[in-house]
Amino acid sequence: MAAERHPAAPPEVTCRGLSRTFYGRGGAVEAVRPLDLTFAAGETTALVGPSGCGKSTLLRLIAGLEAPTTGRVEIGGETPLAVRRRAGLAVGFQDPSLLPWRTVRGNVALALRLARQPADEEAVARLIGLVGLDGFAGSRPAALSGGMRQRAAIARCLVTRPGLLLLDEPFGAVDELTRQRLAQDLPRLWEARGTTTLFVTHSVTEAVMIADRVLVFSPRPADVVEDVTVDLPRPRRADIALSDAFRALTERVSAALSAGFAAAERPLAAE
Amino acid sequence: MIDATLARLTASGRLGSVNGILLVFAGWELSARALSGAFLLASPTEVLAYLAQNPGLMGRALAATLAEAAAGFVIGNLAAMALALIVILTPRLERTIAALALLVFCLPLVATGPILRVLFGPGVGPQVTLAALAVYYTTFVPLLVGLRAAPATWFDVIRSYGRGRWTELVQVRAAAALPYLVAGLQIAAPAAILGAMVGEFTGAERGLGVLTIRAMRGLDVPGTWSLATLAAGVSVAAYAGVGWIGRQLSSGPPPVILAAPVSPGGAVGPRRVAGGFAHLALIAVLVLALWTGLMDLFGLNPFFAKRPDDVWRFLVTAPQAAEHRATLFWALAETMAVTLPGYFAGLALGALIAAAIVLVPPIAAVAMPVAVALRSVPIVTTAPLIILLLGRGALGTITLVAVMIFFPTFVACLHGLRQAPGQVIDVFDSYASSRLQRLMLAQVPAMLPAFFAAARMAVPAAILAATVVEWLATGIGVGSLMALSASLSDYGMLWSAVAVVSLTACTLYAGVARLERAVLAVYASEQFA
Ligand SMILES: Nc1ncnc2c1ncn2[C@@H]1O[C@H](COP(=O)(O)OP(=O)(O)OP(=O)(O)O)[C@@H](O)[C@H]1O
Ligand SMILES: [Mg+2]
Repeated sequence: MAAERHPAAPPEVTCRGLSRTFYGRGGAVEAVRPLDLTFAAGETTALVGPSGCGKSTLLRLIAGLEAPTTGRVEIGGETPLAVRRRAGLAVGFQDPSLLPWRTVRGNVALALRLARQPADEEAVARLIGLVGLDGFAGSRPAALSGGMRQRAAIARCLVTRPGLLLLDEPFGAVDELTRQRLAQDLPRLWEARGTTTLFVTHSVTEAVMIADRVLVFSPRPADVVEDVTVDLPRPRRADIALSDAFRALTERVSAALSAGFAAAERPLAAE
Repeated sequence: MIDATLARLTASGRLGSVNGILLVFAGWELSARALSGAFLLASPTEVLAYLAQNPGLMGRALAATLAEAAAGFVIGNLAAMALALIVILTPRLERTIAALALLVFCLPLVATGPILRVLFGPGVGPQVTLAALAVYYTTFVPLLVGLRAAPATWFDVIRSYGRGRWTELVQVRAAAALPYLVAGLQIAAPAAILGAMVGEFTGAERGLGVLTIRAMRGLDVPGTWSLATLAAGVSVAAYAGVGWIGRQLSSGPPPVILAAPVSPGGAVGPRRVAGGFAHLALIAVLVLALWTGLMDLFGLNPFFAKRPDDVWRFLVTAPQAAEHRATLFWALAETMAVTLPGYFAGLALGALIAAAIVLVPPIAAVAMPVAVALRSVPIVTTAPLIILLLGRGALGTITLVAVMIFFPTFVACLHGLRQAPGQVIDVFDSYASSRLQRLMLAQVPAMLPAFFAAARMAVPAAILAATVVEWLATGIGVGSLMALSASLSDYGMLWSAVAVVSLTACTLYAGVARLERAVLAVYASEQFA
């Protein structure tokens, strides 16, 4: 059943002059400054940057859930709306946003329904197992911990086999060990299917472990301060974190992060 | 996306309400012209003319009614606040106080009126008391919810500094409760006018209710319509006025009032059921003791102040007890036969139309403000109009009950449909799912708490509406039996009717509350976790 469906070929994602400014009571807040970015088809990109710099906004712009103030997004040559219409993308939100009245199984199956795909109990059960929620398929979100809810949300993202995955801090509330396990298992899943993946994380190690490319953002408004290519071999096992190449990469990302902070703070530090 | 829709909704709200009200008046004028000669419907122009011709009469009546309503509003709301404070400071008493409060709320106002009349004698006592009774519960419930609305972590913060309930109340609860209190007071304003007018229906010297009865008996069509319009107008104005004052005080409207007034108890299973029965018995004993005790305390005349044992004798042990029972229960059955269809029709229409309307945002923009305005019309006071239009048969009563239930349900459901969290709507948007799918899978389930809250509060309202129409016009049912008993000074029957109707209303309310628990345990499990 699952094998019969053709997973969508992973698309290339391009942003041209993309920006977003929020106009509220307290005046205008520029969350994302005009960006030109290209994410290669099938590549996994980690987005790291200080809190509040506009990473979530950028993901929402790419998914078309937020209207850009300027510029546009193309996903494999299509508009985000067209891609959403055929369930070509899935978003893992920072907040797991499960429907509280549905079980884990029901929430994962819901994605298939919304994506107008046939119900596939076997795929649902397999993904729930993969995220380590085997005994909890029949539980409601209220009975799960924060990390378990996030894992259920990840299963919901994957079940429709989207060509583009947009994950916003998918492992935010997951404990360190499970986090490492997911960081190893999940990329395998989307690599095998060929998925273009963008994920936001606050963990530099995780970014380097999972991604082919790490984009480091400055404090708000989001602007790229460093674009790091991670040319480590795959599959990557946990012990790769001990290698010199890995350490060099994490140091480069961390340095870029601090540099971004320093740049933003300069007016304060000036004497 | 939904945010954009909502923003548009609020932006066009003012325009929508103007459009909507113009539509209502245009429809009214047109149907009056179409029906002219049938002596049923006075047009807005006739109403204006009538009001202009009788300014003194109308003004005095309005002043009398408003004074009673204002006094009842203050007394009832102070009582509600006092009760809510007691419950918050002594949580052990909560179940008992909430049950007693509900029982008083379920008293049939039409029968309480004549009893109060003999207690108070001539004057405004009964009208003020009924106005207070009509408001206190609708303030008590949201206030209690509001006093608890703060997140648990805030209380943890207070406790981590070793402070107690009083600090919690002052620092956290009072602020959290303010928008809920405002919402309750806003609904209470028109309810107080309704209570005062029901008091006037059941015997008073002056006021809009007295003139209404006179106009209705004299088949004065323009008079009946003018009085109903005036009552509706001041009610909408009172609702809007309290809302305006509230907005100056508090930051925003509360989320829809969700929780049942009684928090789900600790124990589960058979022990909880046993505890429930024990508690029920305790309440019964308390009610009987209060009932007898108050009468003894005020030394009330046993001829009109019947005690529980009098009612027992009247219905069970007296020689004609079987006859009494047959009369009373037959009348009750007649009342239920019109109340229940109206109740269910009002609920179903309210929920269905609200759900349908969110599929068409422009219509929702016009419907919402009109519905909010019409909800504040005390529908019961328009009973004479419905009787004029639909006659004295069952259809008129059922329609009145349905209309009475429809507006609060409709408004609650429209609010409830917006309760689906933005992040959940984002998930639906990320699959570009249709409006219908979003409605059925996310918004309707999110609406259920608001729907059930409305359904619960609608039980006594439905019975009130039915008994008022029966009292005024149809001559059947328990409302008419109460009117007859009052005029014949048959206080045994009157007290028995009050007791049986209150008990019936409480039972139905409890039934809805039980269904609500079962449904919300699934659909709003976070509230019960
Ligand atoms: N709907 C909105 N209305 C107004 N301002 C917003 C809105 N959404 C985001 N912002 C503002 O845009 C900026 C970026 O927010 P965003 O959520 O994208 O940050 P983030 O990088 O994801 O932060 P975090 O790592 O803490 O999740 C913030 O300053 C925020 O206040
Ligand atoms: Mg974020």
